[in-house]
Amino acid sequence: MAQAGKGRLNYRCPSCFMRDLDIDMFYDKEKDEYYCLRCQYTGKEADILKDNEQVRTKYKAMYQRYSEFDFE
Amino acid sequence: MERKKIVDDVFSKFNEIFGFYPESTGSYYMDADLTNYIKAAYPSVKCAIATCWEEGPKAYHTCNNSWYTLFDGGPWAPWIPSKQNTHAPAANKEDSGIVAIPHLSRDLIACYDGNGSNFGTHPQNVLRGMIYDTKTWEFPYLYNLIDQYRAQEKYNNGYAYNMMFVGPGWMNKMGRWEAPYELLLKSYSDGCKYYGDLKKEGKLIDMTMAEFADYYRTKKTYTEPECALWRDILYGSDKQIFWYTDPYMRAGVNMDQGGAIFDLRPYAAKLKWEVGIGTKHVQDASYPFLIQEKYRAGYFTHYAGEGTIRSAKICHNGEEVDLCLCRTKAQLSREGDTRILTLHPVEVEFCDLTVKLQTRIYFEEGTGTIRIAREILEMSNPDAEVEINEYMVACYGTTEYPEDMSGILLRCEGEEPEEIIYEYRCREKSAAGAKSVSAVIPAIGTKVSMEASKGAEGYIREGYAFSPMFTLGYKKKVSDKEVFETWLKLEKAD
Ligand SMILES: [Zn+2]
Repeated sequence: MAQAGKGRLNYRCPSCFMRDLDIDMFYDKEKDEYYCLRCQYTGKEADILKDNEQVRTKYKAMYQRYSEFDFE
Repeated sequence: MERKKIVDDVFSKFNEIFGFYPESTGSYYMDADLTNYIKAAYPSVKCAIATCWEEGPKAYHTCNNSWYTLFDGGPWAPWIPSKQNTHAPAANKEDSGIVAIPHLSRDLIACYDGNGSNFGTHPQNVLRGMIYDTKTWEFPYLYNLIDQYRAQEKYNNGYAYNMMFVGPGWMNKMGRWEAPYELLLKSYSDGCKYYGDLKKEGKLIDMTMAEFADYYRTKKTYTEPECALWRDILYGSDKQIFWYTDPYMRAGVNMDQGGAIFDLRPYAAKLKWEVGIGTKHVQDASYPFLIQEKYRAGYFTHYAGEGTIRSAKICHNGEEVDLCLCRTKAQLSREGDTRILTLHPVEVEFCDLTVKLQTRIYFEEGTGTIRIAREILEMSNPDAEVEINEYMVACYGTTEYPEDMSGILLRCEGEEPEEIIYEYRCREKSAAGAKSVSAVIPAIGTKVSMEASKGAEGYIREGYAFSPMFTLGYKKKVSDKEVFETWLKLEKAD
């Protein structure tokens, strides 16, 4: 097979992101999948988008707008 | 030295083109030596971007150990660096002659436990952190972050600082990470617009770096601290912490752990710490810690040993409760030159006794001292007694890995002063009525000591290889309505 390249966007590995690692993935044209060099994550674009939403679940207040910053 | 040649090169190019030397400069990190050189050679310089808050081992890890910006331990808001160490604010005429600003305004809770580059006022931090709605491309977090910085004016004489420092490279037409160009552009222009709107509403004044330096020098005294009472605005917890910086220390207090000090940097030592090729620290520019609950554990450790933390244990009939497990909140007030962090009372439950206790932490300007008072407000049995064990588990370092503790001198100043020279032998000494307990750490030229109210027993404890820490502490039996006070002091070791 030919060497891997970059995809349309630089998708990072969702598994590595979960553990505070920013790792750009590479794209395998033959398998139409992105894969991580650092861990065993592989996924199609749709998988990555779904997994990135999973990543965001730790930000429980992501959509909230605060007006008070103390607890008085 | 190469760094000075680089400075001369860029400054002379600047002068060639504009016909004058700049008033502002910046670098990822500028050590004191470099700052002093710039100020001497180009006296027009009055402001510099000199570091980025907590961009240390965590940022390094996030980049798969390929991003060598190792500078934890500095102030998060502008300061006047000392001539000896850039991180440490000047106490007096040791003034380096510039006003330093951090590279970004960062989230003071999220950046401490996670990757700094996801939680700052660089608008693309929020894209890097994936902190936006993928459908609407909205990112309220950025505005919460800016607003929480604005809210700090309440604790800093009506002033708060915020900045967004972004180059056009961050609006790459190719997109970045999962974000297409259009989202990069939106994050930048929306961020600017928010500042612009605040300005129109009279809630913000924009300044150049040089204007800011002039403003700051008229506004601040050397000993005036920078304070931040900060809450989580991202993870949906109510966790609250407090940060304090002055020329003698940087300290972090966690209200979610009963007011424990979870980070402590002894600026009092004004450590000479040259950075760069040809020095002892090629990349590591961090100001060393005595306490760092992420790199050296805090309250929680795995099975053995102790982590670094400054807390207290309340003991009764063989039961022991650490205040680290008492979650609460605090308010910050000021009396003269003292900032007072008043924690809401907590209840400690033993099998046959309930104790209501309140913690107050006093930061006295210009003293290098933190006074901690524990007041027994109420006991279910008013005649009962409990023992309060005020302790500080500490070590030193700049990274996650332990340093050699050999040779650290522990002293317990009882009637007969006792000493332990650290050899990893887990020895302990104590003395009733000890005047002070202390540790001198030659590697970072620092002395840290504790003193206590009358009638307390002081103790010092050495660690061992699987717990490479030392402990300083005081124990005292207290009864209802009593207040037990201790003082933690930071000094430069002779
Ligand atoms: Zn991975």
